[in-house]
Amino acid sequence: MLQIDRLSHAYGDIVSLRAVSLEVDEGEILCLLGPSGCGKTTLLRIIAGLETEYSGVIRFAGADIRPVPAHRREFGLMFQDFALFPHLSVADNIAYGLKRRRLERKLIAAKVRSLMERVGLNELGARDVASLSGGQKQRVALARSLAPNPRLLMLDEPLGALDAQLRDQLALELRRIIKTSAVSAIYVTHDQREAYAVADRIAVMNMGSVQQHDSPRQIYQRPASKFVARFLGLRNVFSTNDKRLDALLEGAADHSWRSAPSLLIHPAGISPSNEGSTRQIEVTLLDAIYRGGYYDATVAADSGLRLSFALKDLPVAAGASFLITVAPDAIIPLAD
Amino acid sequence: MNRRARNLWRTVYLAPVAFLAIFYLYPLLSLFDISLRPAGQLDLSGFVRLLSTDFYLRTLLFTVYQAALSTAVTLLLALPCAFVFARFQFRGKSLLLSLATLPFVLPTVVVALAFASLLGENGLLNDLAAALFSLDYEPIQLERTLAMIIIVHVFYNFAVALRIMTGYWSAVGFTVEEAARCLGADEWSLWRDIRLPLIRPALLSAGVLVFIFSFTSFGVILILGGIRFATLEVQIYYQAVNMFNLPLAAALSLVQILSMLAMMIVYTSTQKKIHLALASAGAIARAARSWRERLALGSCVSLMSVLLFAPLLALIVRSAFVAGRLDLGNYASLAEKSRGSLLFIAPLDSVFNSLRFAGMAMLAALILGLIASYMIDGRGRLARFSDALFMLPLATSAVTLGFGFIIALDEPPLNLRASWLIIPISHTLVALPFVIRSLLPSLRAIPPSLREAAQTLGAKPFETVMTIDLPLLGRGLAVGASFAFTVSMGEFGASLFVAQRESVTIPVVIYRLIGDPGLASYRQSLAMSVVLMLVCAGGFVIIERLRAAGVGEF
Repeated sequence: MLQIDRLSHAYGDIVSLRAVSLEVDEGEILCLLGPSGCGKTTLLRIIAGLETEYSGVIRFAGADIRPVPAHRREFGLMFQDFALFPHLSVADNIAYGLKRRRLERKLIAAKVRSLMERVGLNELGARDVASLSGGQKQRVALARSLAPNPRLLMLDEPLGALDAQLRDQLALELRRIIKTSAVSAIYVTHDQREAYAVADRIAVMNMGSVQQHDSPRQIYQRPASKFVARFLGLRNVFSTNDKRLDALLEGAADHSWRSAPSLLIHPAGISPSNEGSTRQIEVTLLDAIYRGGYYDATVAADSGLRLSFALKDLPVAAGASFLITVAPDAIIPLAD
Repeated sequence: MNRRARNLWRTVYLAPVAFLAIFYLYPLLSLFDISLRPAGQLDLSGFVRLLSTDFYLRTLLFTVYQAALSTAVTLLLALPCAFVFARFQFRGKSLLLSLATLPFVLPTVVVALAFASLLGENGLLNDLAAALFSLDYEPIQLERTLAMIIIVHVFYNFAVALRIMTGYWSAVGFTVEEAARCLGADEWSLWRDIRLPLIRPALLSAGVLVFIFSFTSFGVILILGGIRFATLEVQIYYQAVNMFNLPLAAALSLVQILSMLAMMIVYTSTQKKIHLALASAGAIARAARSWRERLALGSCVSLMSVLLFAPLLALIVRSAFVAGRLDLGNYASLAEKSRGSLLFIAPLDSVFNSLRFAGMAMLAALILGLIASYMIDGRGRLARFSDALFMLPLATSAVTLGFGFIIALDEPPLNLRASWLIIPISHTLVALPFVIRSLLPSLRAIPPSLREAAQTLGAKPFETVMTIDLPLLGRGLAVGASFAFTVSMGEFGASLFVAQRESVTIPVVIYRLIGDPGLASYRQSLAMSVVLMLVCAGGFVIIERLRAAGVGEF
């Protein structure tokens, strides 16, 4: 549906996008995940036609859309601060894009009503947008960008302005609404939990380039680079020739990691083991923080190697030793 | 604060209130009195004449008409410029925005002369055109026309409108506009559906302010228009000074005061709407990209530069060149009284007068303004009431103030009519609102916890003021002082009423010189204007440099 080919962009001397290539399939939700300043918002603005100085190619449904101005692209963009029209009512905000398409009045009214129902805003049509709560504003912004049946929907940190409690629930609701609207979507966020909840596929971005483009499960289980691993909060990242790893890596069957500069010992593959199982090492429990349902444990091996992983129960008290085993597929090579 | 300190404060608080009561409210009430009871009993014949005589009604209509026209032209020019300024970043932008407010401190006599030097019959442009196209007539015929008055009003008010709208536009931002573009709005829909409705509160607020300024314009119309284009202000002056028809002048003043009050109320309500809306995030200006954007930017910058600098340059050129040659004789002649002049002193002596009065007015306005600011910064009804009270002089035209002074303060117990003291007092009154507006933001920016910390460390209330407040108010005080000084240097309307023989100030001297017969006097007035312009520009530079650090709210 949407194809981006080697897109580069700079604000003055600051390069914000470096040869980004991406694709969004029909009906797919692609999530751009990355820290603030990684270029994800700039990418959205270029696709929307709001930024006009860049190099690279953007195609939509096979056609080059670079010369098409923003107001003719028929892409919906939901802004981070919602950008609701302060001088228009809720219903007029939602109707704005429909009016620009010169639809019949009755049709517009019906469409606005059905959208307000879909996003759960019934009864609020006549309200002043300034009087709405954050969650309600978010719904108006969503309804407004969905109203003209955009060919592509883009959402820039749509839940960023809301508090954490609301986010989980709203992320799922957003996915449901986008999916029922059967629209291709690009969803920008810096929150991995939100990305897992919403996305069909995730593109992790850093410093203007795409680091990994995969399914949510693949991203978490097999991060491709040091940055992706660290950004996802996976802490056991080491240089490949770190001597402290020797005991752990001895006899590992897969040696693909040897050619990579770094590797990750995925915490999901570390578990306490019973005596007698293979490839186990003895570690000392340094500390364990209870996170509700599990402990966030840090251990140290004799070699000085430190590992972090989740423990359901504490096998020993802090300061005592126990055995752990590392699953063979938990050793993941990382690019720089 | 303990009770004794509180009582002390209450006494100190009385000073600015008493000043306002004696030198503002009392003259104003005297005006009411003389307009309603010219001979000691109720007599509305003045008003009857006002309403029944076509002439005065036409004066009022013309006042409104020229103000409305000035407002319309100013807004029409400032609106696109405000958009360009909010939208685009370019080198020298903040300097230009800052310079654009220069007219704010330039005395009307100077500006009127500057435009006459540029666009008058013997103005620079006519000379240039005649030389370039070898014409034997003057192609620009703007002298004593409404167009000339409107142009000067635009010169004065352009920056006010521009600042209000640019600030508002930057605060409203452009994401809303981008949202509309994504929803299919083209350039035309953007202006109609988004930009104009969004900017409306600022447009309205700027419009009312420009209207007020143009409505009370005095010096410009007196010098450039003459009696043919008399507005209420000019008519008050003529009736009081030339015709000596005090009841009629007082009646006109009453009309003026009431119209001003009504307009100020409207303005305050538009201000509230502006502050209400300014909650959203700021916008980031970007560089102009397409040739269209560059053209728009270039046009706005050129328009502003020409409007701002051409008349001032013309004034300097006219004052320093005689018959095409650099000749500073005009300046040298300032030291002597020209023959046939109606002045009692040499023009240069008025510089000494002005400096002296400005210094005194500055000091008085600072002290009174500081106390008043504390009063306004307090809590409760008294604070709100005093805020409105101390802004009143701003809402009263200088001519009305001057007229009120000469009819109220000419008999015991307060006979100041013949004293030079009346000048610095009137200037203090005019400068007071400016000082307060400069001090308030700094005062409000001091977190109460600082004073509380000082108190817990053993500082007495007075020590707290001296060691915490005053040092932190430094910049605000400096801005206020510069404003008071500059306003006093350029004050014309009130001074024209109250200045006597030897105590005349620079603007009054310039006006008298213009009226004097002979080329020598006219040239002296040009040189004198340049001197005054430089003094005021100096004050302006100080104000702007200090304000760049975020002091002052206007």
